[in-house]
Formats: sequence, structure tokens, C-alpha cells
Amino acid sequence: MKSNPEIESYLPLTPALFHVLLALADGDKHGYAILKDVSLRTGDSVRLSTGTLYGIIKRLLNDGMIEESKRRPAADHDDERRIYYHLTSLGEQVAMAEAERHEKIVALARLKNVLGKRRTGEPA
Amino acid sequence: MSSQNQSWTDRMYRMLLRILPFDFRVNFGGAMQRTFHEQASDVERKQGKVGLLKLWAETIAGMLQTAPGEHWQMLRHDTRYALRMMRKNKGFTAIAVITLALGIGANSAIFSVINGILLRPLPYLNGEQLVVMRQQAPGAGAGTMGFSVLEVNDYRQQNHTLSGMVEYHSMGFTLLSKTEAERVRTGVVSANFFDFFGVKPILGRTLLPADEEPGAPPVLVLTYEFWQRSQHGDPNIVGKTFEMNDKVHTVVGVLPPFPQYPNNNDVYMPTSACPARSSPKTIANRGARMVRVFGRLNSGVTQTQAQTDLATIAGRLQHEYAKFYPADTGFTATATPLREELVQQARPTLFVLLAAAGFVLLIACANVANFTLARVSQREQELLLRSALGAGRGRLLRQLVTESTILGLMAAALGLLLASLSVKLLVEFASRLTPRANEITIDGRVLLFTLLAALLTSIVSGSVLGFSSRQQLATGLREGARQSNLGKNRKRTRNTLIVAQVAFSFVLLIGAGLMLKSLVRLQSVDPGFVPQRVLTMDLDLNWSKYRDNSQYREFAHKLLEKVQVLPGVQHVAVASNFPLDPDLIAYGSGHSISTFQIEGQPLRAGETPPLTAVRLGTVDYFRTLGIPLIKGRAFAPTDNEKAAPVVVVNQALARHRWAGVDPIGKRITFDEGKTWDTVVGIVGDTKEFSLNQEGHDEAYGVMDQYPNVGSLLVRTTADPMLLANEVRRAVFDVDPQTAIANLQTLEQARGETLSAPRVMANLLALFAALALLIAATGIGGILALSVSQRIHEIGVRLALGAQPGDVLTMVIRQGMVLVIAGLACGLIGAFYMTRPLETFLFEVTPTDPMTFVLVGAVLAMTALAACYIPARRATKIDPLIALRHE
Repeated sequence: MKSNPEIESYLPLTPALFHVLLALADGDKHGYAILKDVSLRTGDSVRLSTGTLYGIIKRLLNDGMIEESKRRPAADHDDERRIYYHLTSLGEQVAMAEAERHEKIVALARLKNVLGKRRTGEPA
Repeated sequence: MSSQNQSWTDRMYRMLLRILPFDFRVNFGGAMQRTFHEQASDVERKQGKVGLLKLWAETIAGMLQTAPGEHWQMLRHDTRYALRMMRKNKGFTAIAVITLALGIGANSAIFSVINGILLRPLPYLNGEQLVVMRQQAPGAGAGTMGFSVLEVNDYRQQNHTLSGMVEYHSMGFTLLSKTEAERVRTGVVSANFFDFFGVKPILGRTLLPADEEPGAPPVLVLTYEFWQRSQHGDPNIVGKTFEMNDKVHTVVGVLPPFPQYPNNNDVYMPTSACPARSSPKTIANRGARMVRVFGRLNSGVTQTQAQTDLATIAGRLQHEYAKFYPADTGFTATATPLREELVQQARPTLFVLLAAAGFVLLIACANVANFTLARVSQREQELLLRSALGAGRGRLLRQLVTESTILGLMAAALGLLLASLSVKLLVEFASRLTPRANEITIDGRVLLFTLLAALLTSIVSGSVLGFSSRQQLATGLREGARQSNLGKNRKRTRNTLIVAQVAFSFVLLIGAGLMLKSLVRLQSVDPGFVPQRVLTMDLDLNWSKYRDNSQYREFAHKLLEKVQVLPGVQHVAVASNFPLDPDLIAYGSGHSISTFQIEGQPLRAGETPPLTAVRLGTVDYFRTLGIPLIKGRAFAPTDNEKAAPVVVVNQALARHRWAGVDPIGKRITFDEGKTWDTVVGIVGDTKEFSLNQEGHDEAYGVMDQYPNVGSLLVRTTADPMLLANEVRRAVFDVDPQTAIANLQTLEQARGETLSAPRVMANLLALFAALALLIAATGIGGILALSVSQRIHEIGVRLALGAQPGDVLTMVIRQGMVLVIAGLACGLIGAFYMTRPLETFLFEVTPTDPMTFVLVGAVLAMTALAACYIPARRATKIDPLIALRHE
């Protein structure tokens, strides 16, 4: 596992970048699949354009958080122009660290009763 | 999505992708197209055309957001890489930057002069409306005449095209304030002169209409330079008084620095304060043309319209006052834009110099391109590897252009430094060409020019490179890359660059050679007198004290007596002025041109009387200057005020007026027959205003008969400057209120007239030397590289029994073939390109064979020396090591 300071140096992530990492967390995906996943999970509140998406992909590739996946689906489901991306271990750790960061903030908000006021009665 | 829509969408998207950097497109373009294709199909299916339009809007916005950042990252990457490469090749970087900096610096420097003098608006109020008015009578032998006061009034009242007119003339007066009298050059001007030009005082005020009223208390306005130099910038100067022309003058203001035209003055006074201009005799005499006139065009009036207007008035005057405007002289009046007057002398010189500097830059560009190309050969494997790894050709080109841009910018910074260091020298140089010299500075426009020059440099050298590398990489990749397979095209490019460098250097060297030869010719011109060992100075007597001729005579005699006895003095003379006198050249001081008549040759009705320049001197004038007596006799002590008046003429006058007849004994009159002067001798012609003009007609009168004290000339046995102080003291002994100016040797005065051609020749020579140096390093460097690339081949030759001499000849031949080709191209180029120099040349034709041969030899020898060094190294190659090298 990478040392904490190195992981920390990537934080905080931009929401768009975090969403791309999250999209890859449950399996390799190609560009359009990532777009769909993000938009589905966020109820269309985060919509990435192709330009933004591939700007992020370039950065993640350069930083070693994702890599091109060697595994491809069966030939009849595949399109050779598609590139599949895979979350690396660094990517996983960064995503985890970012999630923890959010968690801490949420906990703090709860402690300060910021969250409690609005959502009284909802399970934590 | 319908297939028609689909292909349209895909095409649009492909176009949109072009705003992204090349690398990005290479890496992600395909995947992006696929992604968008799928996205667009889905959206159209689910949301129809409206959804598709929305998607397009989002996509375009996203792309516009991403592109700048990606470009910026790419640039940063390229820059970092370029800097790393430069650090790795420090020697190359230094040579390239210095070479380009010299080229850019030369251009920025010359451009700063052009900017200050030709491009900036005149520093006067609405300067483009200002004109210089002239009356001309070409047929009378006097090109331009001044205006008389009556004429100024006529033009002022009768013109319909000018919104204002001011008059100007310049005189030397003696200012008495300190222990020593000071000669001040005084501009005598209309009261509204400074408002007319929009010059605001920095202290006090300028002149007011009340100052010009007859009998108004005399006032002075000081120029900035005089205030600084003579009054040490005294902030309390306003209100201070000086004695001048027997009157107390009060300083009312100080002017800012501004270009003074037609000559620089120390102080300004209103017309009423000038004894000559305000005398009733001058005012009433239509023929007393002593002032110049400036006009301001009414808005919307063109210069041509003004000229027509003035010519009409001139015609009217000629009709009304026939006596003052002889009929057959072509008398007319003109208006020339002031801007033209200020810069016309400088313009051709500056353009020639800019062209020369441009050549230097081109040669520097060629050199840098060549060296970079050579370096690219060494980096071949790296570039091929990068190319093979997917860095496209465009990417590599971009990397090379980034490198050359950084080189260019570094060179621009250094070049700008060089240019700003040379500004002072440039101002000095330009001041010989135009009154606007002080406006030369490094301003925003010069910065912009330098930046553009740097970018142009980068583009030129970068594109040569790119063009060559493109071909190379293409071939290299196809053929699987070994250097020997790649070299041919690149070698051709390199050779072409060398040929171009030699050709351009040759043209520059020819230009410089012609100018230098012309300068040598000018320097060896026989001025008609012997300039060595003569001390000269201009004298200004406090003329208000000198009421009649006997006082001038007495002054001259006393001065001669005192100076004559100083040890080391051979001859001494007092004269009205002397040939190449700085005051004569700048202001026409003491230069009187007079009409005369020859006894027994009456003028026909309407015929213009002949003109001649008249100079007055004491008995030893000709001996002091070393002007040869051709015939008859020179002046004698007996030619005094009681004796019959005599005159000595020069050869030109004798030839023009007494063709074939001996003039000695003939009589002429300068005052319509009141006195007749007998010609007693003929002397040689002298150069009066400059060394490249023919001698004028000249008549000499003797001081005792026509007293006029303007200068003192002393011929000495040793260095004349050693006597300067004693002679000065002698002048003050005779009259302490005499102002002395321009104390120098006659040789210095002669040298000064050559300063403009000398500076131009020197600058051209400097540029040519730079070009030669750059070209020589280019040839030598490229040859050295070629030798290092051919080590193996040369080793084989040596191993097979070739003699070192053969190798030497082979390498030198390789270099000299290019040099000779360059010389041939340069010869053709120079033949046409040196034509514009013609106006600057004196007794040298632009295609002077001697210069061409000599310059060709110099260039060939330099190139030979540059080839010899690598050739010698080639002979030292050890065959064994060379073969192992392979």
C-alpha cells in the first residue's frame, strides 16, 4: 500500500474525477459506459461531456490511477474501437481516501447537527 | 439514429476534435468518437432531436473547457523538454542565442532609430499640418531665398490656405553675465512661435504678443540644453537678467527638450529684440530676406493646395514689385511638410541600415537552422524512437518549433539589451542626420518589433527544420532508419543554407566595402587648402560696441600682433569665416553671397546679375590656410583702407566670368558701381561646405578695406592645440567681451564634415563583419560535423593509402564548392542590391570591380580558413581507431 502522504497529495478530487473512479470501482468500463454509470448514479445531476471525460481519463492514466484493461468482453459484445479502463490499486486507494474524507465531513456535519436538522428520523 | 444523421454527426464531431492538441487526438480521438457516437445514438433514440441538440451544446461547451488546459499542458511539457535539451547542449545553446541576439539586437537598434525618427508623430501640436515655406528663384543661382519682413506680411494677409504663420531666424549674440563672454546661438521668432508649435515651457512662460511690441523690455526664453549646460539647471533662473546687445534681457522661461529646426539654438527672443530684424531699414526693405517662415495648414487643406495658393501670391508680388523679382529666374513660393524636412536626410540611410541589419538576422537564422539541423541528425535515433512510439510528425515539429521559439525569445532579451546599450551611440549618430535624434528610445513599439523579429526568426529556422525533418522522418521510418540512408535531403538543405549565408554575407561585405572606399576617397579629397597644423575658432564680437569699420580693423590688427609673436606660430589671419567652418555649414554664418558686375560688361535688360560668394580676410589669409596662389599676387599690407580696393578671385570664378581672358587688372563692383575693385590675383578653389561638392565661385576682399571679424586662423609649427590657451588669452587681452566658439583644428573641422558617412560606413562594416563571422562559424561548424560523421570513411581511405594531403584537399574542396556557389549567387545579388547605395557613394560606382574582387578574396580567404580547421582534424584521424569506431 502506498504511503499516506502520497495518496493525500491527490486529494481533494474534483467531483467529476471522483465519479469516474467510482464508476470503475465495480468493474472495467469503456468511455460511454462510464458516462452512463455516472449519470445514472447521480440521477443526471452530474453529466460529463466526452471532452471532459477524456481529459479526466488522460489525467488518471498519467497519474497511474487507471490503466487500459487487457480483458475484453466476448467478441460478439465487443467493438474494437472501444477502450476499456481498469482501476489500479493506486486508483482504488485514492478513491477510498476521498470517500473517507467525505465520510469525515459527513460525520462532522452530523455532530454539528447540520445533517440531523434536515433529515430527522432517517437512519444514519 | 438514421445512418445519414449518424455520418453527419460523426463528421461534425471529428471536426470538433481538431481543437484539441495533436497528441490528445492521437491518444483518445478514436475512443472519443466511439463514445460520442454511442451517446448520440442513445440520446436521439430516447429524447429525439431536441435531446440531440442539447447533447451537442454540452459537448461543445465541454470541449471548449478542456482544450485550453490540454494545450497549456502540452506547451509546458514541450518547454520543459526543450529547456532540458538546451541544458544538455550548453555550447550549442550559447552559440545559437548569441548569434541570434546579435542579429536581433542590430535590427532592434536600427528600428529604434526608425521608430523615433520616421514613425512617431512629430512632437508638435498637430505636427502633420505644419509646413516650411520657401521662396525660390532657381534661375538666379540661389536655390532658396529667405523672406523679407514685407514679404512675410504679404503672404500672411493674402493666403487662403494657412491658419497661421510664424517667422524664424537664427543669429549668434554675445551674452555677458560671467567672467567670460559667451556666444549664444539665438533663435529670433514671432511671439506666437511656441504656441504655434505647441511647445509648453517647463519653467516660467514663453513669448507673448506684448514682448514683440516695438520698445518692449527685451526677454529671453532658454532652451533646455542651454539651461542645463550653461546655467546648471538653476531652478530660479526665471527673472534673472543678462546683458546682450547692450541691453538688459530678462529670462522669462525655460523650454522643454524638443527638436529644433532648422538649427539648434541656445536661447530664443522675439523679433523686436533682435537689432538686425527690428531695424527700420530691414523692415522697409523688400530685398532684405533674412527670415524663414513656417505655416500651419487650415484643416482639410492639402499641401498641394497651399502650394498653389502661395505660388499665386508669389506671382502677384513679382508682378507688383518687378525690381525685386527678376523676370527670368523662375521665382515662386513653395510649402513642404515639416515632417519631410526633418527626416528626408535620414530616411535613405536608415533604410539601407535596416536592410543590412535584416541580412545579418537572416544569416544568423540560417546558421541556427543549420546547427539545429546538425543536432537533429545527432538526435535522429531519439526522434525516430519518439516517432515510432506514436509521437506524430506534427508533434515532433511542434517540439522543434518550441525549441527554436525559446531560443528566439532568449536571443530577443539579449538583443534588446544590446540595443538599449547602444541607444546613446545611435542618438549621437542620428543627430548628424536629423533634429529628431533625441526622440530615439526603446519604447513599446521597439519591444513589439523585437518580439516579432524573434518569432519570425523562430518560424524561419523552425520551418526550415520542420520541412527537412518531415521528409527525413518519413523516409527514415519507411526505410527502417539508418543515418546514412537519411542524410541526403538533409545535407542538401544544409548546403543550401551555407550557400545562402555566403551569398548574403557577400552582399553585405560589398555594401560595406563600397562605403569604406567612398569614405577613403572623401578623406583623400584635396580640399584646396592644407588642413594640417591650423588652429581655428569662431569669434563673436560684442557688436553693439563696434560702431564703425575702424574699430573692427583695430581689433583685427591688435589680435594679429599679439598672436603673431607667440612661439610656434607661423602665420595668422582674421577672416569672416573659413572653408568647412562648422558655423558656416550649420548656419551659413558669415556666408555672404553677393551680386556683382564686371566693368565693360553691362547687363542686358532683364538679365540677372552674376553671383559669387564673398570672403574677407587679413593679408596672410591664403598663406595661413595654404591656399595656392595661381596667378598675380595675394593681398599685401599696402592694401589698406586708403589704397584702391582690390579683390582676389578663385579659379572657378575666373573660369566662369572671364572665360579665356586674363581677369587680372579687370575691375568689378559689388555696389552697383559706387566702388570698383581691381582683380589682383587668382587663387585655387576650396571645398566650402562639404568635401563632395565642387568649389563655388568665390571672391576674396581684404579685411582693411572691408572689415568683418568672424574667425581666427593660426598656422603653427607643432600641434596647434598646444597653443589654444595662449591664443585664447590673446583674444581676451584684446577684448574680454569677445565670445569664442568652435575652438578646434582645421583637421577636426574637416573630419566633422565626414562624420555622417563615417558612421554609416562603420555601421555597415560592423554588420558585414558580424555576417562574416557568423557565416564562417557556420561553414566551419558544418564541415566539422560532416568530418565527424565521415570518420569511418576517411579512416578507410587513409588505411587504403590515401595521403593526409589528399584528405585535406577533399574536405576543403567539399567546403569551398559551397563557398564558390555562394559567391556566385552573392555576385549576382550584389550587382542589383547595391544600387540603392549609389546616392551615398563618392567617386565609387556601386559595381566597382576593385571592391568586388577584394571583397570576394576576403570572403574566400576567411571561408578557406574556416574550412582548414576541420580539414586538418580530418588528416589527424587514426585509421585504426576510425575502423574500430564503426
